[in-house]
Amino acid sequence: MKTLVLGLGNPILSDDGVGIRVAEELEGKVDPQEVTVMETSMAGLDLLNILADYDRAIIIDAIQTVGGQAGDIYQLEPGALDSTQHAASPHDVNFATALELGRRLGLPLPQKIVIFAIEVADASTFSEKCTPEVRGAIPGCVEMIIQELDGGNAA
Amino acid sequence: MYHVDPPPVAKKLRELFYCAHMLHSHIAHFYALAAPDFVVGPTADPAKRNILGLIDKVGLAVGGEVIKHRAYAQDIQAVIGGKATHPVCGLPGGMSKAITEEERQDFEEKAKSLVEFSKFGLKLFDDLVLANKEYLDLITGDIYTMKSYYMGMVDANNKVNFYEGDIRVVDSDGKETAKFKPDDYLEYIAEHTEPWSYLKFPFLKKVGWKGLVEGKDSGVYRVNSLARLNVADGMATPLAQAEHDRMYETLGGKPVHATLAFHWARLIEIVYAAERLLELCQDKEITDPNVRTIPTATPDEGIGVIEAPRGTLIHHYQTDENGIVTKVNLIVATAQNNPAMNMSVKKAAQGLIKKGQEATEGLLNMVEMAFRAYDPCMACATHTLPGQMPLEVVIYNSKGEVVQRLSRNVC
Repeated sequence: MKTLVLGLGNPILSDDGVGIRVAEELEGKVDPQEVTVMETSMAGLDLLNILADYDRAIIIDAIQTVGGQAGDIYQLEPGALDSTQHAASPHDVNFATALELGRRLGLPLPQKIVIFAIEVADASTFSEKCTPEVRGAIPGCVEMIIQELDGGNAA
Repeated sequence: MYHVDPPPVAKKLRELFYCAHMLHSHIAHFYALAAPDFVVGPTADPAKRNILGLIDKVGLAVGGEVIKHRAYAQDIQAVIGGKATHPVCGLPGGMSKAITEEERQDFEEKAKSLVEFSKFGLKLFDDLVLANKEYLDLITGDIYTMKSYYMGMVDANNKVNFYEGDIRVVDSDGKETAKFKPDDYLEYIAEHTEPWSYLKFPFLKKVGWKGLVEGKDSGVYRVNSLARLNVADGMATPLAQAEHDRMYETLGGKPVHATLAFHWARLIEIVYAAERLLELCQDKEITDPNVRTIPTATPDEGIGVIEAPRGTLIHHYQTDENGIVTKVNLIVATAQNNPAMNMSVKKAAQGLIKKGQEATEGLLNMVEMAFRAYDPCMACATHTLPGQMPLEVVIYNSKGEVVQRLSRNVC
């Protein structure tokens, strides 16, 4: 099974880059023969080309929810994002729309996609470092991904 | 600012990269954001008025072509820039690396395909927008029309150029009122502020700020695709020139003031960017390894101007005696269109909202269309990153009481 772990975000925008930091931490902890770990600042339609040809994908990204605590980690299925499906960003479509488009076009997208989203405190200050609460969540998220990978492989 | 001129191949590689960037940006805006308004319909259910609704109408093959050609543009940027987003290729005095002959051949094939795809975009626009009298009337109608000055970059022959040239300004009759070097921008552009917005309101200094009003006495000007075509004498490549002529014949000559024609001009720029990309890929010099002149002087002050997808982009840097940056001034495209966007939205709202008639979600979108034509980047212009675009329409009666409130993504 070809597996991709993809960290998303902007690495110079504080906590927005947490997905990328998690992916960086994960590299060296997984077998590169079995799992490809990548980081990207791309979003929307551009993700389709990255996801194509993998059987399984784990995506790590920053999230902001109403009342969420910085550092909380959520494990989501793509369906959880359907409610934002039509709220396009100013320059692109959102992930759920891109995924639906890719499926309708018959692109070879992963059968299984799991999203790990980390609640952020600050995603608008220019910095290459995450805030302490979010930085503290990185090891736990790495562990959760390793468990997910092991579980997925066992299945 | 480094007192060094990049070697010719470095400039060509930068322009090649930049054509790919323009293609990537314009393709996304037209197919994912603008076309659904026309192809699915301006008042259609928002759940359908998106790229998924678009492919429902025009077929899956179109969606496949869009994804493929955006990816081509992205691939070219990634090879030259190290990565497509946040590229790391531009260095003082040139580029970080050359391209190989193998890469050049790959780019050439992709550029050829992009030229064909660009023609397809205009065919789609002909069949689905121009052939529909209702849409043509919408484009040329008064509610989406605004008379202003226009600004954009031109080459030595006054043709549209994204990468290098002089800045030209024309008035609402199409007459040239200024043509200046990037270094002189402060003589021509000033910025007004309003207490109700932290986005500035750039205006033409020599005309002056007269408020949010149209016409030649007002220093309000517009940038972006239609502005670039309005200020130029034409396009530097053959297919784009033919399409440029056709647009102006259809819309009654230069300048065109129809805000929705920014979309048409954007499609013509896709043709130009693809043709220019192909020219550069076929340039004998493009694989020359001499991509950088190493700077030796301490940087002091520099001004750079290019045409970003959304319009003229000005960067101005000053340093101290150690070369450390002490002052930065950026005038981004969306800021320059800020006065005009406010006016376009107001005009659309005044034209569309009628007394006693309920304002609908469709109406909200038709007001938004006046704004969307500018392909604004509010994050660049305001330095805030909400990740989505909040929009609110509040309708008041003559007593100042709220009659109706429509909103989307407003916290």
